[in-house]
Amino acid sequence: MTQDNRSGRPQGRPPEGEARLSRVEASLRGPFLLFFVSAVVWLLAASLLAVVASLGLGSLLAPFPDCAWLTYGRVVAVERNLFVYGWGFNAFFAVNLWLLSQLGRFEFRNGWLAALGGVVWNLGLAYGVVRIFAGELNGFALLEMPREVGPVLAVAFLLAAFWPLVAFARRPTGHTFASQWFVVGASFAFPLVYLLAQLMVLWVPASGVVQAVAHSWFVSNVLLLWLGASALAATYYFLAKVLERTIAAYYLAPVAFWTFFLFAGWTGPAALVGSPVPVWVQSAGVVAAAMLLVPVIITALNFHGTLSTQGGWARAWNDTTLRFVSFGAVAFTLFGLLQGLVAFRGPSALLRFTSFGGGIEHLLTYAFATMVLFGAAYFILPRLTGSLWPSAKLVHAHFWGSALGILGCLTAWLFGGWQVGRQLAADATPYAAVLRAESSWFSLLTVSSVLLLVGHAAFALNAFGMILKSSAPTDAGRHD
Amino acid sequence: MNDRNRHPDHNRPRRGPSGAGSEGPSDGRLVEAHSQLSRDKDEPAEGFSLTPIFIVFLFCAFGFWAGLYLTRNSGGFSAGAFDLDAPKAVVAGGPVAFEPDIAKGEQLFLANCAACHQPTGLGLPGAFPPLAKSAWVAGAEERLIKAILAGLAGEIEVNGAKYNGNMPNIGANLKDAQVAHIATYVRQAWGNAAEPVMDAKVAEVRKAIGNRAQYNPAELLKEHPLESK
Repeated sequence: MTQDNRSGRPQGRPPEGEARLSRVEASLRGPFLLFFVSAVVWLLAASLLAVVASLGLGSLLAPFPDCAWLTYGRVVAVERNLFVYGWGFNAFFAVNLWLLSQLGRFEFRNGWLAALGGVVWNLGLAYGVVRIFAGELNGFALLEMPREVGPVLAVAFLLAAFWPLVAFARRPTGHTFASQWFVVGASFAFPLVYLLAQLMVLWVPASGVVQAVAHSWFVSNVLLLWLGASALAATYYFLAKVLERTIAAYYLAPVAFWTFFLFAGWTGPAALVGSPVPVWVQSAGVVAAAMLLVPVIITALNFHGTLSTQGGWARAWNDTTLRFVSFGAVAFTLFGLLQGLVAFRGPSALLRFTSFGGGIEHLLTYAFATMVLFGAAYFILPRLTGSLWPSAKLVHAHFWGSALGILGCLTAWLFGGWQVGRQLAADATPYAAVLRAESSWFSLLTVSSVLLLVGHAAFALNAFGMILKSSAPTDAGRHD
Repeated sequence: MNDRNRHPDHNRPRRGPSGAGSEGPSDGRLVEAHSQLSRDKDEPAEGFSLTPIFIVFLFCAFGFWAGLYLTRNSGGFSAGAFDLDAPKAVVAGGPVAFEPDIAKGEQLFLANCAACHQPTGLGLPGAFPPLAKSAWVAGAEERLIKAILAGLAGEIEVNGAKYNGNMPNIGANLKDAQVAHIATYVRQAWGNAAEPVMDAKVAEVRKAIGNRAQYNPAELLKEHPLESK
């Protein structure tokens, strides 16, 4: 395998000879492709809107002054919802399903139920997004969609992500691997969190600051316990699988799992430091964000330890899947360290009203979760479609577009946020000067957003080309 | 890396990545090997890794710090503490003005006084004197404050009945504001209708009497005679 990887071609070649799916893979092919294709479509839409939004940030005049539905507030809300619910959820429905059935070695029966969940999910999301464009949005991040979307998404989630759990519970094998723990944990956490947040924020609004506390709890849970936990599952799997070795310090992984799920749910209020929330709630958030360093350190030992032996980094760089996955693994460690540091009252007071928080969030949602998802796609899709990635150039364009794009965005958000925070804290700086300094980062943000869009377009071209190529003559390809 | 740009189709796979055609067994080995790892953790094959013990100490330190941070920065887990600096301002007699609070006074009374004087304020005939409609608690506030701060020991006549009691110096362990809440409550509950007591007055009296033994009721009467009704 090592020799094969040295060639540096996109990995994940189909099995020897003609396309032949294992029964496990054949059983999940339909739902997987449905989830995956819709995820990529939403990702393209989101990255297009991100470019529009960054244009709106950079200029005093809106880029489309006559168009109410392209104003900054709506575009940003739609972009974030599409990125999280459209891309992050659909793509992890697919990858989690694949991980569960591969590791549990079960055939996924009644896959149409999961597919139905995917269809309902996407219809609900599309409806919600249209309503946001129409200007009927709630003022809570990630809960902007009208409240009637909530139950629809919840039911869709149960079909799409819970039905695989039923199959998991009845799997033939006894032993489990870290990836399975994280997938199962994420699938249990989200519906609970989502329903409670819908109730306490939108349907039966809790009074006063309780609403804000519930909302911050919801956001941190969705990002960490769904995107984060699912991406951790994929990282554990692909490192072990592609490098063909066991995870370093694997005996610590259960501790990482339990501490991650214990502390991640409490980190939300750290965003509320300094607001009129009882001070013990704020402190609990700070402590949770700092204690999240425990799973972060353990996963760092697991991931980087596995990569550091026997030339693992070099092999990771030469393997398309691992190049993305190890990028994500490094990003997750960075995210944990930064989040723990910034939660404290001193740094938080400095960075509270800047773009720094957005930077940290993208470190998790893009640099970690999305990059790991791309890596997973490069591994899984060739196996499911039975064909090769059509173009290696597009793979390169994708990696460099995404990697440089997100690095540029992170630079603009993190360094820009830091600079603006320090200027805001200094009494002497006039506010106009602060704004000028801030807007100088917007051009970098625009360029980076375009880079991301280019990368995603390359990925979509490659992936759709492969899926179309395989699905049209798929039976012809199996004539043997 | 130098041949990365070659079109993949140009070299058809000689063989797929191991297990590509047989995902099941390969993933099965992955799961097996790892569950073996987590079962046999005490078997260092070669050398000795310092990581585990270091990690244990580090995580214990994290837990210790978390406890410290929470206790120091939680405002006593009070639902009303919104700001780390607020409690300090009260202690320093800062800008926060004192308001005698009947509700707080009642809570404090129930916790500290009601065991003897009863929640009804009627005391127990023959054992503990009543506070309701008692001339001792109305009138000069110093008399009541001194009784709460230093306690009473000896024969006392309240509302025409004689008691021989021993009241401990409950107030010595309470803050000025708490004593003021209690005194205000006692002076305004059960049909009593005297002026409220401020925490500054309690502080003044506390400073004046210092750390002293219980008052004899007669001695206290000499300092602050009962007002005629």
